[in-house]
Amino acid sequence: MSGVVLNKIVKKYGALQVVHGIDLKIDPKEFVVLVGPSGCGKSTTLRMIAGLESITAGTLAVDDRVMNKVAPKDRDVAMVFQNYALYPHLNVADNIAFGLKIRKVPKAEIRQSVQEVAEILGLTDYLARRPSDLSGGQRQRVAMGRAIVRHPKVFLFDEPLSNLDAKLRTQMRAEIKRLHKRLGVTSIYVTHDQVEAMTLADRIVVMNEGRIEQIGTPMELFNNPANRFVAGFIGSPPMNQLHGFLEADDAGPVAQIGRLKVRLPKSEVLENQNGKPVVLGIRPEHVTVDEVPGSFPIRINLDLVETLGSEALLHTDLDGMTFVARVETLGEISHLSGVDTLHVKPDLLKLFDAETGRSLSVDARTGT
Amino acid sequence: MTIQEDSSSRNSDVLAAFETEDQPASGGRLEAAIDHLRREWQLYLMLLPMVIWFIVFLYKPMYGLQIAFKDYSIFRGIAGSPWVGLEHFETLFANDQFLRAIKNTVTISALNLLFGFPAPIILALMFNEVLHASYKRTAQTIVYLPHFISSVIIAGIVITAFSPTAGIVNTIMGWFGLDPVYFLTQPEWFRPIFIGTGIWQEAGFGSIVFLAAIAGVNPSLYESAVVDGANRWQMMWKITIPSILPTILIMLIIRIGNIMEVSFELVILLYQPATYETADVVNTWIYRQGLQSGQYDLAAAAGLFNAVVAFILVMTANTLSRRFSRTSLW
Amino acid sequence: MNWNLYSRGDKFFAIVVSILIGMFTVATLYPFIYIAALSFSSGFAAQAGKVVLTPIDATLEAYGYILKDPQFWVSYRNTFIYTIGGTVMSLAFIIPGAYALSRPQLKGRRFFNLFIAFTMWFNAGLIPFFLNMRDLNLLDSMFGIILAFAVNAFNVILLRNFFEAIPKSFEEAARMDGANDFQVLWKVFVPLSKPAIATITLFCIVSRWNGFFWAMVLLQSEDKIPLQVFLRHTISNLSDDDEFAIVQTAAGFSAETVTAAIIVCSIIPVLIVYPFIQKYFEKGILLGGVKE
Repeated sequence: MSGVVLNKIVKKYGALQVVHGIDLKIDPKEFVVLVGPSGCGKSTTLRMIAGLESITAGTLAVDDRVMNKVAPKDRDVAMVFQNYALYPHLNVADNIAFGLKIRKVPKAEIRQSVQEVAEILGLTDYLARRPSDLSGGQRQRVAMGRAIVRHPKVFLFDEPLSNLDAKLRTQMRAEIKRLHKRLGVTSIYVTHDQVEAMTLADRIVVMNEGRIEQIGTPMELFNNPANRFVAGFIGSPPMNQLHGFLEADDAGPVAQIGRLKVRLPKSEVLENQNGKPVVLGIRPEHVTVDEVPGSFPIRINLDLVETLGSEALLHTDLDGMTFVARVETLGEISHLSGVDTLHVKPDLLKLFDAETGRSLSVDARTGT
Repeated sequence: MTIQEDSSSRNSDVLAAFETEDQPASGGRLEAAIDHLRREWQLYLMLLPMVIWFIVFLYKPMYGLQIAFKDYSIFRGIAGSPWVGLEHFETLFANDQFLRAIKNTVTISALNLLFGFPAPIILALMFNEVLHASYKRTAQTIVYLPHFISSVIIAGIVITAFSPTAGIVNTIMGWFGLDPVYFLTQPEWFRPIFIGTGIWQEAGFGSIVFLAAIAGVNPSLYESAVVDGANRWQMMWKITIPSILPTILIMLIIRIGNIMEVSFELVILLYQPATYETADVVNTWIYRQGLQSGQYDLAAAAGLFNAVVAFILVMTANTLSRRFSRTSLW
Repeated sequence: MNWNLYSRGDKFFAIVVSILIGMFTVATLYPFIYIAALSFSSGFAAQAGKVVLTPIDATLEAYGYILKDPQFWVSYRNTFIYTIGGTVMSLAFIIPGAYALSRPQLKGRRFFNLFIAFTMWFNAGLIPFFLNMRDLNLLDSMFGIILAFAVNAFNVILLRNFFEAIPKSFEEAARMDGANDFQVLWKVFVPLSKPAIATITLFCIVSRWNGFFWAMVLLQSEDKIPLQVFLRHTISNLSDDDEFAIVQTAAGFSAETVTAAIIVCSIIPVLIVYPFIQKYFEKGILLGGVKE
C-alpha cells in the first residue's frame, strides 16, 4: 500500500496520552486535512509524521517503508510551519535553497531549482529580498517554496494560514489548492478552521481529544455527520441541536422536541425506542422563511437578525432552545423582522442519540 | 528580526519539554539511552568542552578547598597533607587582623549600600525627567563610560587626583587656604574615597536597569495623571517610583546577597599598610596571607568561610528575589 | 511628554533636573580631562599643582618617556593577544555549550544547568584556584590566562536564555531540511542570535582588556604581562621612587605626568571601541527580555 499509512498511532507524554491510536490511510496525491479544536492532537499527529515527535506506539509508513525511527530529514517529507520559520538573515533565494545547500546539491542545480520554484510561486522579483521586507502572503509563499524545492513525497502544513488576515487567507487558500492541483503531491494539512478544511480537502479527518471522530469528503461530513461533535464542528453557523425524545404513533417514529413533533422516516433503528433521549440536528441553511413544498413549520420567537448581505442569520428562541437560521435576504431584510414561523425541510434533518452522540440517521450510518 | 511567536509554537515547546521524560513503550532503558545518544550525540559533544572546563577550573579547586582542614605543604600536595581538623579556623577567629577584615568588609558593603545603592536610582529618575533627547543621550554616554575603565586606571586616576603635591584635590583645597592632606595614607579617608570612586564608576551604568524599568511603565498611567492634573514631581512619586519598586527591591536583595563581595581588586590598588585598619577586607587579607606569605591552608580556610557565608547570603537573596519577581514585571 | 503641556512648575523642575544631570555628567568626565591635561603638562607644572583643566607648559615629554619604553609596547601587544585570544576562546566554549543547554532533548539538562549556575553562587576562592593553576602547570603561561578565564556562568546563561527564546520551528525547519546540530547552530542559531553574541563578545573584550588581578598573580615574566599590570608597576614604582622624581622632573616630566600619559594611552582603545559597544550593552545588561 503506497501513500501514508498510520496504524494505531499513539502519543504519550509521560502519563498524559494525547493521541489515542489513530488509523488513517492517505492515498498518493491526496489532499487530506486534519481538523479539530486546539488540543485535539492534530498537530501532534502531523509532527509525528514529520518526525519532530517520537511515536509512542503504532507504525507510520510512507510508501510501504516504516518511518518510526527514521530521522526527519530522511523521511522525504517537507513541512510548512505556522510561523513560516523563515531565516531572517537569509534572502528569499537562500531561504528556498537552504535545504538543498545542506544536502550538498550542486550549485548550478540549486540555482535552477530555485528559479523554477520562484516562477511557480511568483517570487522571481523578490529573490534578493529579506523576509522582513516581504508581505505576509509573500512570506507564506517563500515557506511553501522551501518545501516545494526539495520535491518531497509528502507536504505537511501546520496551520500555515493562521497568521494571515482574513482576506489574504482566502486568497492563499485558493493558491494552495491550485498548487496542489499542479504538483499533485500528497499533502497533509492541519487547521482548526473548518472553512479551510472544507475548501481545501479531498478528505477531511475530524479529530477530537486525540481520536478521529470521522473521515470523509467535505460533502459527506456536511451532509452526514457521524456524531454530534462533527455536526457541531463542520458548518458555519453550526448545526442546531435540539434536545428531545423519541415517540411513536401509528404512522411511525416521531421526535418530540418541546411542543414540536417532528415526523421521522421509518427505520429499524428507531423501532421500539420510545422515550429514548435524542438530539435533532437542523442545519441553519436548511431553514426557510417562506413555505416550500414538503416543509413543516416551526414557531419561534425572533431574538436578533444579523445581516450578512445576501443572507441573514436569524437568532431565535424555540421553546427555550436557541435556534439559528441562515436565510436569503434578496437584498432586503425588513420582511424578516416580523418572522414568527420558519420552515424546515424534513429530508435534511439529522437525528442523534443524546447519550452517545452518534448519528441515528440511516444515510449517516451507511455513509461511514 | 522577524520571529513571530504564537501560542501554538509555545505549546509545542511545552510538549517537547515533556518529551525529555518520555518513556519508551517497548525496549529497555539502556536500549533507549543508546538510541537517544545515536540521535543526539552531537549535542553532548558540544556540551563536553564546556563541562570539562567547569570541572577543571571551577570544580577541581573546590576539591582543593580541603586544605582548609589540612596542614598543607607544597611537597606533599593536597591529598598527601595531614588533616588538622578545625585548627585553621581556630587560628582565624583568634586573629585580630582577620576579624578586622570581616568587620571592614561588612562596613564597606553597608556604606556602599547606603550611598552607592540609591545613586543609580536617583540618576535614573532624573534622566527620566530630562526632555531634550540628545542632551540626555550625551549625558548617558558619558556617565556609563567609567564602568568600562579598568580598576588599575581608576586607581591611577584616584591616586593622581588625591596626590598631596600635584593632585587636583589638594590644589583646590589650597585655593581655600587649607593645608594639603595625604589622603591615601589616612585610614579615615579610605572609605569615603573608595565609596565615592565606586559611585563615580558605577552609578551611571547601574541606572540602566532602572531606566529600563521606568521605560516599562505603562504610558497611559502618566496620561491619565496629566488629565487628573498631576505635576511631574507628583507623577514621579505616585507613578514612577511605585512602578519600579519591584526592580528596586530585587536589586537591593541582590546587593545584600553580595555583601561579602567588596571589589577587592580596587582595594588592593588603593590601600597601603597605613590604611589597612579601615581598608583591609577578607579577600585582600587572603591575598596577602596566601599568595604573598604562602600560608595557603590558613588563607584557604578564610576563603572557605567567606564562600560559605556568601553562599548562604546569595541563596537567601535568590529565594527572596524569586518571591518578589513573581509579582514584578520581570 | 510634551514640553508645551508642562506647567510652569514642571518646567522649572525639568530645568533643575537637567542642570543636576549636567553637573553629574561634568563631574564624571572631569577626572578624565584632568588626567589628559596632566599628561600634556610639564613636570614642574604638575608638581606645583598648577594643572586644573588645560595643559600647562604643554609638552609631549611624558609620552616620549612612555613610548620609548619597550616594555610598554610588549605589554600593549600582550593585552591584544589576551583580548583577542581570550574572546575567541570564550566564544568557542560558550556558543556550543549554551546551544546544547538550550535544547529540550538534552537529557540531564536540569543537572547541567545547575552544574553551571552553582559556580555563580559558590566559588572555591583565590587560594585553591591558584594552587590548581600551579598543579596544571599554567603559572606564568599566556595560554593559561587565555584558557582559565574563558568561561563564566553568567555569559553561558545569558546566551542559553536567548537560544531558548528562538521559536522551536526554526530548529525543526532546519532539521527537516537535513541540518544536523552543528549546522542548526552555525547556520541558523548563530545568525539569529547576533545581538546576544555581540553582547557576550563585548563583555569578554572589556573584561579581558581590563583584566589585572590574576595576570598580576599568575604571570612573572615581564614579556608576558598585559598593559594593566605594566601600568600598575609603573604607577607604584614612580610614586615610590624619590630619585626618579628629582631627576626626571628636570627632564620635563614627572611621576604624575608619566602616569597620566600611560592612563591616556591605555584608555584610547576603549574610547575608540566605546561607541560600538554602547549600542549593545544597554540591551545586553537586560538580556532575557531582548526583543527585536
